[in-house]
Amino acid sequence: MAGSLYVEAKHLLKRRRSFARWWHSLTPFLWVLPALLLYLVFKLVPMVGGLGLSLVRWNGIDPPQFVGLQNFERMLSDEVLGPALWNNIRYALGTVVSKNVLGLFLALLINQSLRGREVYRTALFMPVVMSFVVVGILWAWLYNDQFGLINNLLRIIGLGSIAPDWLGDTRWAMTSLIIVDVWKWYGFHMVIYLAGLQTIPVELYDAGLVDGAGRWRRFWNITLPLLRPVVIVNVTLSLMGALNVFEIPYIMTEGGPANSTNVLALHIYIQSFKFYRMGYGAALSYALLVLVSVVALIQIKLMSRGGHSAEE
Amino acid sequence: MCKPTPYQPFSSLKAQNAIVKAFSHALLFIFAAIVVYPVIWMVFASFKTKSELVSNIWGPPQWLAFENYAEAWRIAGLGYALANSVIVSIAVVALILALASLAGYALARFRFPLATFILLLFVLTMQAPVPIIPLYAMLVQLGLTNSYPALILPMVAGGLPLSIFIFQAYFRTVPRELSEAAVVDGCSPFSAFLRVIVPISAPVFATVAILEFLGAWNQYLLPLILVRSPEMRTLPLAIQVFFYDWGRTEWAQVFAALTIGSLPMIIVYVLMQRQFIQGLTSGALKG
Repeated sequence: MAGSLYVEAKHLLKRRRSFARWWHSLTPFLWVLPALLLYLVFKLVPMVGGLGLSLVRWNGIDPPQFVGLQNFERMLSDEVLGPALWNNIRYALGTVVSKNVLGLFLALLINQSLRGREVYRTALFMPVVMSFVVVGILWAWLYNDQFGLINNLLRIIGLGSIAPDWLGDTRWAMTSLIIVDVWKWYGFHMVIYLAGLQTIPVELYDAGLVDGAGRWRRFWNITLPLLRPVVIVNVTLSLMGALNVFEIPYIMTEGGPANSTNVLALHIYIQSFKFYRMGYGAALSYALLVLVSVVALIQIKLMSRGGHSAEE
Repeated sequence: MCKPTPYQPFSSLKAQNAIVKAFSHALLFIFAAIVVYPVIWMVFASFKTKSELVSNIWGPPQWLAFENYAEAWRIAGLGYALANSVIVSIAVVALILALASLAGYALARFRFPLATFILLLFVLTMQAPVPIIPLYAMLVQLGLTNSYPALILPMVAGGLPLSIFIFQAYFRTVPRELSEAAVVDGCSPFSAFLRVIVPISAPVFATVAILEFLGAWNQYLLPLILVRSPEMRTLPLAIQVFFYDWGRTEWAQVFAALTIGSLPMIIVYVLMQRQFIQGLTSGALKG
């Protein structure tokens, strides 16, 4: 009798211990769960749900209607989509190249023992904290044909005859938007390049100097190869930003004049929330997501493969 | 014993360096001026009268036309907008700090099945933008559009992956002994985290807070889609609507609105520029 009670107690204790262990193994999940749940509900579920939405016709109010792959077929006959894609490519090329060349150039300049470095850095980085809305509206006025600062400056230096209507001229509108985007971010890229430059050991430059390498050679043979990872980060960031760009064209030109600044994200927004073609908008969003992922993969692969051949 | 001879730059090289430095100063000054002058000019313009805006284009205002601010504040409903932006941004930051620090700590410290998978899930989907159309559809079905949760929760979801990544990278550098000592003293792992780890991690909390506050403060797309009534608008949305309605005629007032919408943040940035620059580039430098 006493023996069986002892066995039972031992059994219970063991079960409690294994329960405790089981409970203990669960605790890390409890730490992660709130974040994971919120992320699932507000990002991953809509991401997957968008696939379902891309198969229906829905105006945002009436019950959705299943249409199969019609939304994807529709892209082929969408006359605005092609130009929007082309505009987006131009936008990406313009911003990525300018931001990186300018950012790296300024980083090289500021990476010397100059007086007032901090002041330059603080000033150049400042537009990062401003919203696209403020920046876009401010620049809309700077570009103003008559009273804007830019055309007034051109008139002062005697180039008034070529001063264009920046945002109203189909030949200039896209360039104007690119300039705004570059203006907002070149200080940001400079700071990241600067962080990269500061990891390069000074001895390498001393060695280069002793070998009689000039500034250009030292930059080309020492700085640039060692900076490759930072270049990849900067190009990736600016490329992703450019392919998803929405605010600047939406606020400054609404895609005009004559669709000359319409880009993919803006096209998606207009289709979904101006024409209430939510299903088509969702399909377009997926196409954009695939495009961005593929471009990112190709770009990162190309740039890191180039690194190997340089090292060999 | 045998010291290497210190490197002596040739005098011509020294002169060359001086030229390069002067040149660098000039260029940096020009590019800094290109950034700063439009912002100063925006503040100038916000104090100019309508006629002065076109007659005195470059300089500071002749007198201070404060009525631009009063009118912009009233017509654009900036009082509501400011309150909404403050509420939404603070809620977003508080939620992200709480959820991301817990998750980041667990992913860095505890060994458990799926830990790598969960981290990878966040990192791989981090770059994908918030899927606005399905999100909109979902919030419409839940009857949540035009509400604070509709603005706050998607922004939190959008900010979580990078924040978790920053937190876990940091917590990996914190010596394990710190929390273990507390646990030996009888703390639960959770109270060890709260009482020992969090207090010594203030810098990383500040980094994430700055990054996410700015993201929420300047967020434009979500309010644009999810806000229906004027009194739910956040600052960027209210300013943009004001610009669309009055931008053709009342430019001076628009500049007052722009100044209200950006100058406070710029001042805080200038005062805390180290923390800001560190916080806002931490995504790029750790990713």
